[in-house]
Amino acid sequence: MKLPPVDYEAPRTVSEAVELLAEHEDDASVLAGGQSLIPLLALRLARPAVLIDINGVTELSGVSAADGCVAIGAMTREYVAEESGTVTDDVPLLAAALPLIGHEAIRSRGTVGGSLAHADPAAELPAVARALDAEFVVRGPSGERVIPAAEWFEGYLTTSRRPDELLTEVRFPAAGPGTGVSFQEVARRHGDFAIVGLAASLTLSEGAISDARLAFAGLSDVPVRAGDAEDLLVGETPSAELFEEAARRATDDIDPPADLHGSADYRKKAAAALVRRSLRAAADNAGERQ
Amino acid sequence: MAAIAAERYTGANIKRSEDPRILTGAGRYVDDIKLPGMLHAAFVRSPLAHALVLSIDVSAARALPGVVAVLTGAELEEITVPGPDALMALIGGEGPTPEFTLLATDKVRFAGDPVALVIAESRYVAEDGCELVEVEYEDLPPVTHASFALDPSSPPLFANLGDNIARPHTRSEFGDVSATFADADRVMDFRISVHRHQNVPMEGRGCVASYDTGPGVMTVHAATQSVHVTKIAVAMRLGMEQDKVRVVAGDIGGSFGLKIGASREELAVAAASRALGRPVKWVEDRGENLTASGQAREESFDVRAAVSNDGDLLGLDVKMIIDTGAYPGLGVTVPAIVEEMLPGPYKLAALGFESTAVITNKATYVAYRGPWASETFLRERILDVIAKDLGLDPLEIRLRNVAPRTDPPAVMITGRPLPGVTTRESLERIAQLVDFPAFRRRQAEARERGRYLGIGMATFIEAAPGPRSPEGPSGPLGIESMRLRLEEDGIVALFTGQMPHGQSHQTTLAQIAADEFGVPFEQVRVVVGDTDVVPFGLTGGSRSATMTGGVALHGARQLKAKVLDFASHLMEASVRDLQITDGRVWVRGDPASAIGVGEVARRAASGQFGSGVDASLEVEAAFDGGEGGWSGGSHCAIVEVDVETGIVTVERYVVAEDCGALINPAIVEGQIRGGIAQGIGAVLLERSAYDEDGNCQSATFMDYLVPTACDIPRIEIEHLETVALDADVNFRGVGEGGMIVAPPTVVNAIEDALSPFGVRIYEQHLPPARILELIAAMSAD
Amino acid sequence: MADITLRVNGAACTGSPEARKTLADFLRDDLNLTGTHLGCEHGVCGACTVIVDGRAVRSCLMLAVQAAGSEVTTIEGLAPDGGLGTVQQAMWDSHSFQCGFCTPGMVMQAVAFLGDHPDADERQIREALSGNICRCTGYQSIIDGVLLAAERSASPDPAAPPNASPDPAPPNREH
Repeated sequence: MKLPPVDYEAPRTVSEAVELLAEHEDDASVLAGGQSLIPLLALRLARPAVLIDINGVTELSGVSAADGCVAIGAMTREYVAEESGTVTDDVPLLAAALPLIGHEAIRSRGTVGGSLAHADPAAELPAVARALDAEFVVRGPSGERVIPAAEWFEGYLTTSRRPDELLTEVRFPAAGPGTGVSFQEVARRHGDFAIVGLAASLTLSEGAISDARLAFAGLSDVPVRAGDAEDLLVGETPSAELFEEAARRATDDIDPPADLHGSADYRKKAAAALVRRSLRAAADNAGERQ
Repeated sequence: MAAIAAERYTGANIKRSEDPRILTGAGRYVDDIKLPGMLHAAFVRSPLAHALVLSIDVSAARALPGVVAVLTGAELEEITVPGPDALMALIGGEGPTPEFTLLATDKVRFAGDPVALVIAESRYVAEDGCELVEVEYEDLPPVTHASFALDPSSPPLFANLGDNIARPHTRSEFGDVSATFADADRVMDFRISVHRHQNVPMEGRGCVASYDTGPGVMTVHAATQSVHVTKIAVAMRLGMEQDKVRVVAGDIGGSFGLKIGASREELAVAAASRALGRPVKWVEDRGENLTASGQAREESFDVRAAVSNDGDLLGLDVKMIIDTGAYPGLGVTVPAIVEEMLPGPYKLAALGFESTAVITNKATYVAYRGPWASETFLRERILDVIAKDLGLDPLEIRLRNVAPRTDPPAVMITGRPLPGVTTRESLERIAQLVDFPAFRRRQAEARERGRYLGIGMATFIEAAPGPRSPEGPSGPLGIESMRLRLEEDGIVALFTGQMPHGQSHQTTLAQIAADEFGVPFEQVRVVVGDTDVVPFGLTGGSRSATMTGGVALHGARQLKAKVLDFASHLMEASVRDLQITDGRVWVRGDPASAIGVGEVARRAASGQFGSGVDASLEVEAAFDGGEGGWSGGSHCAIVEVDVETGIVTVERYVVAEDCGALINPAIVEGQIRGGIAQGIGAVLLERSAYDEDGNCQSATFMDYLVPTACDIPRIEIEHLETVALDADVNFRGVGEGGMIVAPPTVVNAIEDALSPFGVRIYEQHLPPARILELIAAMSAD
Repeated sequence: MADITLRVNGAACTGSPEARKTLADFLRDDLNLTGTHLGCEHGVCGACTVIVDGRAVRSCLMLAVQAAGSEVTTIEGLAPDGGLGTVQQAMWDSHSFQCGFCTPGMVMQAVAFLGDHPDADERQIREALSGNICRCTGYQSIIDGVLLAAERSASPDPAAPPNASPDPAPPNREH
């Protein structure tokens, strides 16, 4: 299962990387952590003419907090984000999801930006980004763009990044007081991709839900926001009945995929269970955050 | 019992002599081998399950820099000898033999069927070359289910057979089947199926074939369970004299039945090496291993059970269909073993058994750890269902039906006697180790809180190696040989045809020989893996503990007698007065007389005693298994089923087992736990899946899921006191039992967990989605 | 092809691998360090695990050229002078392995994990090793080996030599 022949470039700066992307466009694949791309190459499912390895672009790594936002450089390793106090304190939903990504050795190399640019709908980070309305900063030959999560994920393994653009940073809003989160997934084994996963965040204000975010992994070719369920929840007091109704709203009209690991009907049922469980956990956690 | 040595290794957790190299990366597996001038092979494989090969154009591949040769199926046929599979020739498969070639020539018969062989300077370039081979196919309707294979209108995979039946329908009866069923209080019908899953050793198949043109000698560095069977296979296919083929093996990364003889690909690689006069390495990648190496267990059963109202299982009438895939081999022999083993340790009075083996466009059915295991699954599953229908306890129904241990022993209705079987004891021990009433209380409380716990048990026996047969040992595996020699450096060398691939023979056999002969453990060397040096043997069938342990014991005793005989001349003492302990020969009561055994060997080799004294300190020992015997045990699992997600957790797993005398308890327990892990994997995770067009859907480790450290609980193992049958050799095999009995144990527990829903389970693969389907099906009624 | 320099098991190494060559293949083929095994080549089984710049990584998911300038430790480099490190010794004592094919990756992952989490409990150890597949053992003996290693690291026996010899130790007569 050997990789096919491929050319290789290792830019040292974002500008160099962008120049290379502008030159090669769709013939190039950006190599970040490699934990998703290299298996595709080994299976000869991906056949880029050139790999643009951005592991040497040091300006792309780092976690910083400013203006109610946490900015994570695209090349920030998942394990670094996991160990970051800023992430733990300010983006608890991301902190909850990170340990579920594969295994430690995967997170040693895998990057936050790489996972989000790869956009596997069954992966954890796309659901988190979608739930939190993260922003994606890309740089191309004509400058920088900021793309909201709702517009970032276009289809299966497809984002709105243009072929001559490089994802440089992802910005997550910092969680406010009274916010509780839960990331849960149904997976065949510990560390596997989710059959269904749910990123959930609830903000309580004087006992009532003032903000609700639910985004699924594994139900479609992109992460799916359960807008109807969120609308139901806002303004209400947490209760088992409310969460049951939210689960129904979130899953009644979905048409999940079927594969070896689960039928469409199974994904629906598992998704509903996750809504009930995640909302309960998020509501419980909300009380802890001041 | 004969007197045993002062040092007692047998029965102790002696640390493995394999481990220093294993733990430091100094093991030598096939892919670690590098020979001068070595080339690398890769196969072009069919993407289609069933198709005619209209044309194959290898010109672009041949022209790729770094590609040294490309061979098609037709070209390989010209340089090899057609014939049956070597393992089948060895164990004697009957019935029509479909003719097949090493690589597909006119037709491909499963997705992954090799059609061309590319040989290049590196595996990277060989795979590049494969992409340049152009094959034109014409689709044929795929035969992907046994039901279609049975249909005479299904397109035959093999023209010379005319249909897709690998072994035609046969029926046997034991006891008075019709009377038993006529007189029974009730007759119950079941349809039980076991899904396709597979061995998945961590190291795939592979070899380095090295043909030395000058002397015309083929050396194959193999990953195999028997260097001699591989040698026979290579010699047969290449039309070579046996003494011109040498097979060597070093460390092997697991097999579980997969690596026996030589696969079509390995034979093709050997032929290519001969054609090129250079060594050629082929190591399959994981995709090849999952799609093309072979799969197992796809069997279905229509079962009628004759039962009394008190829970006696009086008779069974079973119709079995086995899906042997394309290129059928060992699969056709499995029904006969299933038939023989179906009564198990129970008092079954009548058995009707019929079977058909079919051919389909899927990977070939290969041996997988306990190939006959479905008989235990079927029997232990229906006993639970019968118990529930009659309102009986699962433990009670088993105790009621167990054949009593008598002298002479009870005999299975299919003919095998049951000496020394401790099934009753194992069931009773489980009941002591697991507090069933306490569990039932906990289960009831959990149900109140919406949590579903279940408990299941199952029992089994396996022929490890099986009781002594009145007709005597039969077949090449009926006698185990070993050569033992005292070397001049004081090492006792054991030359055995066993080919350990995880069984730790280099440790266990040394323990036995050290005890028997009287040297320290470190002074025994177990030599394996070279057809020029070791006698015939095969590791498999859970036989080596008895057969090889036994020949090591008796052989060491014989060698010791020879050494003492020679020493009596050397030391001018009577043999009666001599003993060997701690590697020295000495006169009883006179420690100053001690001479190291190495010194004795050097003196023997010096020839100083002339022809009147036998100074050859070597024996060729043979052992027929002695009284042989059964291994067996009872397993119990406690599971929790999350009925909203279908996820099953195995909370506790308990084993009460009897594998005779233990050579090394830690090694025995490792074998049991590994087998159980595969059984749990089969139920919860593993399936070799195909779609209707015959495309394999489990071609990577993302889709073929094997258990991890989070999926297998601590497994508690109790060793029962065994019934000694033989004066000396009461070690019995343990390799396959865990994998045989774990699936029904876990399925029984899952059904118990889901009993509030009225679920009945007649299948072995229960992924989360299936659990929810089973529950929903009951609520829909 | 580019020339790369890196340190492997404490020694400087150079090579000129093709860009597409994985670190795993570079270690095995170019540096003759065949202790690192290939079990799947798509990053799931963990048999290829090595330590790069202090972190356990799957060497089949790194290109050799990406390891330029890095510090790599393979199974061969774990213990000096042919001895056994604490984890290796504990695994030997615990009968952790059977066929040995998963062993190098399992050992490297355990070493990396214990280095960062010396007080890990059994559940944490199982999770940490859940990305390393073993087909032979059912994992219990491996977990026992890691627990024993952790225990020994926490309270080393001052009388014991730092590394056991690679020769088989005197027979252990525990029953």
